[in-house]
Amino acid sequence: MTADASFDLGMLVRKLESIAPLSDEERGAILRLPATTKVVHPQQDIVRDKEQPTQSCLVLEGWAYRYKMLHEGKRQILSLHIPGDIPDLHSLHLPVMDHSLGALTHCRVALIPHEPIRELTLRLPSLSAALWRDTLVGAAGFREWMTGLGRRDAIGRLSHFLCELYLRLEAVGLAEGYRYRLPITQADMSDAMGLSNVHVNRVLQEMRGRELITLSGGHLTIHDWPALTRAAEFDPTYLHIRKVVDD
Amino acid sequence: MPRYFFDIDDGARTIRDQVGTDCADDKAAYDAAIGVLPNIARDILPDGQRRDFIATVKDQSGEAVFRATLSLRTERLRSA
Repeated sequence: MTADASFDLGMLVRKLESIAPLSDEERGAILRLPATTKVVHPQQDIVRDKEQPTQSCLVLEGWAYRYKMLHEGKRQILSLHIPGDIPDLHSLHLPVMDHSLGALTHCRVALIPHEPIRELTLRLPSLSAALWRDTLVGAAGFREWMTGLGRRDAIGRLSHFLCELYLRLEAVGLAEGYRYRLPITQADMSDAMGLSNVHVNRVLQEMRGRELITLSGGHLTIHDWPALTRAAEFDPTYLHIRKVVDD
Repeated sequence: MPRYFFDIDDGARTIRDQVGTDCADDKAAYDAAIGVLPNIARDILPDGQRRDFIATVKDQSGEAVFRATLSLRTERLRSA
């Protein structure tokens, strides 16, 4: 265990508390989980498709992403993960990875062995329920992602993506005042939205022209939250955040 | 990778690309210009009988190096 593991695991406590209440005992049990921290470079994999991990990864700093590769280097980004997320928690119960998890930016992650997590879930059923809730919220996110890819137009997809990230970052204290750091490239955004790079570029400029957002130097500013949520047809229910911002 | 700029004229207005997109080479940039036009036409679902969507590719120096035009023509075959 590294010296600052309990500080790092506080990220997980904060994340879980954004979607479910935790008791003191549960909080303490999470903070005492063994973990080793690791730095991952941008575009480097954390765990690959078909691997059988024996640990799950908690994002501490930076952004991670789940993806699948098709032939000719075509990549579909399935989800984005911010500090506090455990994107491969499901590997606790599904031994073989059916997609890859990589670092989108420079990342620091905590690797938590499966065995102590499993032991914890047996000992504290309500903590088990909180982790279950976290994976269910993840599944709800996939339903929205799928609806977007299938049926939203380009401006709707991007708007929805930006609204979601704001509320998720805000829930773990990483965004406020309708501003946040968006440290991802246009190419990453296009692989997430199922759009071409040039199309994403055009849509972002159109959104700026409509005074919805400004994206500059990796910082996003939302100028008109109500209009952005309308463009996205954004309903935050699926995030199941306990304290949803209201405007 | 060199950066290219894609100015898009959707028949109503032109959005000049201030940001640019990295492409492997000229050919990849031309392909990207062609590829984006049907998507923009789909986003807009234009009315009227004819609409031209034009993508102009500029290189890093600002010189226009390629242009692709997609024309969408419609006609009603039965009077309303």
